[in-house]
Amino acid sequence: MTLKKKICMVGQFAVGKTSLVRRFVDQIYDDRYLATVGVKIDRKDISVGSSPLILMLWDLAGEDDLEQLKVSHLRGASGYIVVADGCRAASLAKAFELQKRIAEQVGELPFVLALNKADLREQWEIQAVPASGPGWTVFETSAKTGAGVQEMFAALAEKLLA
Amino acid sequence: MNLLAVLGFAVFERVGAGSFKLRGPAPGWLPVGPLERTFPFLEVFLPDAEEFWAAAQGYATLQSDLWTQDDRHFGATAVAGEQKFLIIERAGARFEQTQRVVQYAHEVSLARDQIAKLSRELERATEAKSEFLARMSHEIRTPLNALLGMAELLAETPLNDEQSRYVRIFRRAGDNLLTVINDVLDLSKVEAGQIELESIDFDLTEVLTEALEIAGVRARAKGLEIASRVEPVVPLRLNGDPGRLRQILLNLLGNATKFTEHGEIAVLVKQDGPGTLHFAVSDTGIGIPPDRLSSIFDNFSQADASTARRYGGTGLGLSISKRFVELMGGKIWAESAPGAGTTIHFTARLPAAESAAATPGPGVAPAPAISPLRILLADDSEENRFLIRGYLKESGSVIDEVENGAQAVERFERDNYDLVLMDSEMPVLDGYSATQQMRAFEKEHARARAPIFSLTAHALREARERSLAAGCTEHLTKPIKKAALLDAICRHAGAPQRTEVAVESWLQPVVGRYLENRRADVGKLRAALEAGDYTTIRTLGHQMAGSGGGYGFDPITEIGGALEESALVCDAARIRAAVEDLAIYLSRVQPSPV
Repeated sequence: MTLKKKICMVGQFAVGKTSLVRRFVDQIYDDRYLATVGVKIDRKDISVGSSPLILMLWDLAGEDDLEQLKVSHLRGASGYIVVADGCRAASLAKAFELQKRIAEQVGELPFVLALNKADLREQWEIQAVPASGPGWTVFETSAKTGAGVQEMFAALAEKLLA
Repeated sequence: MNLLAVLGFAVFERVGAGSFKLRGPAPGWLPVGPLERTFPFLEVFLPDAEEFWAAAQGYATLQSDLWTQDDRHFGATAVAGEQKFLIIERAGARFEQTQRVVQYAHEVSLARDQIAKLSRELERATEAKSEFLARMSHEIRTPLNALLGMAELLAETPLNDEQSRYVRIFRRAGDNLLTVINDVLDLSKVEAGQIELESIDFDLTEVLTEALEIAGVRARAKGLEIASRVEPVVPLRLNGDPGRLRQILLNLLGNATKFTEHGEIAVLVKQDGPGTLHFAVSDTGIGIPPDRLSSIFDNFSQADASTARRYGGTGLGLSISKRFVELMGGKIWAESAPGAGTTIHFTARLPAAESAAATPGPGVAPAPAISPLRILLADDSEENRFLIRGYLKESGSVIDEVENGAQAVERFERDNYDLVLMDSEMPVLDGYSATQQMRAFEKEHARARAPIFSLTAHALREARERSLAAGCTEHLTKPIKKAALLDAICRHAGAPQRTEVAVESWLQPVVGRYLENRRADVGKLRAALEAGDYTTIRTLGHQMAGSGGGYGFDPITEIGGALEESALVCDAARIRAAVEDLAIYLSRVQPSPV
């Protein structure tokens, strides 16, 4: 039976979690912003080396003043992707905060950091990501152009199997 | 059960742990297959539901979070009771509405972030604008200072009629330019919310008289009558900002004069409710067309384009007046008809002063005469140093000049000065830091605080605050007028320290004569120095060296010795310094009975 892994997308609202999944699963990008309500679940079949792998992508509603991330949704997850918007420094702070909360409540899981909206590089407030400890793998991604998206998911998949 | 299918519910009965049986017809949207495979979200919800079913008493429900899969929204409900059910619900419009609400909330959050960001940017831009204005005013005022000052000095020299006329025009043009710069600064300060009105007691009549005197010069030159009337009920002692009130009146009177060829200009002051006055400035001039009446108070606005060409002006005066009036809690409006003259009305909150006692105003006295002082002048601009020296020429003061703050501090620590004049922006060490160092030195060496005046081309309020914070006694804004400088000197350094010398009573009558003679010597010494007559200087020096100490005037002996010595070697510079020292000592020495 093909191996199945649950991966969660977390991050501040409107950083592009849903768009990253959409780009990865369907190779589509839609400019309209649509807030995710609750949890959005998608499936993507990939292969790591020669072994097939099913990724169940749990896209969790972005966190803001009104909505708190439900850490219980990470139950059974094998890894997660923390997403930040390069144009908003506050979203990186939120990413650090979420990672810390998950590590405390769920335990140490493999994860990567996606700095999204690389197509707007000239508007970025985030110039460099401070080294936040071992285990941080950072990707600059663009859900719009697709840049870095495959690489980011592939890197996490490899971590899951390592 | 058909009803459930119609509503979009799939109802499962829990028949054992993790085991469910569909009850009723399967809705069309429900795929065939094990529940947890069909709905991955249940991996998260079922453990919670099991806990709930185990604990629930009677009828109760537990609702799951919403989830989305294959672009459809779902929700699950666990029902506890006699039997246990799991209900899966596929979204209808309800969910989309929820999503819209959530999205709206997100967008509000995003917009708020954006607004915060924009407001930070705006703040930075405003700071940049203030900085630019301060810089611009500095750059324009510095050379203007030199121009106006030189014109003032030039006017004091013997000139023929033609030259006098040129200098007059030169000065008037400079004054006008200064007014324009001040107007632009005022306006931008009001716009940046940087103007705060004063709240002090003042005399209404004084302000009116002053404004009428200034405006009257031009009005009378055009053959116009100018008058004011204050209704008897109006209190004459008021509380408010006399400077800004005068500025408004001068603006309105200036306009009235400018646009009137024949007739008269009048100011009427009435009471307009408690604590509020109503001013009306009327003229018999060209008037304003009705369609322009409301826009004349806008920035850079004049009644018509040709006005600027014929009458000049930037069109800022009225808009500044309007801002000031509004700051004073009043309003301003115009009444006019072309050819029938104009009346500008304004109201202002000016309550009666609580203390009735009138303090004598400073008045418009001519530049006061000051006694000779030892002055340290620090300014990197040679023109400005020349100008200040010119202003103080008649006082007979001794002025040491330096070009930067570091030199100033060095000289200050070495010598005692009656006054320090300090440019704020200088190379090496600026005036603020130099002042701080001087104050620290005075404190450390228990030396009396010398008056330090900062001279800056920055008219902004911060410049003044910065100067005072650095320890300056007074802040003078360039272009510095002679009268303003002398006035400030009178206030802070007017009376140089008296040097009291105890004299035996029987010597008293002689001592007066002795000092008189030495004062006469100062003139002789200056003349001799001019003529290169070192013999006379040597003789006078020798006499002083031998006599001063005998009366108790040791410095005279010292200075005499220095004169004698330097005359021997024809050291003109040292002689000049000694003569000035003598002049200053003589101006201060005060023989007093034992």
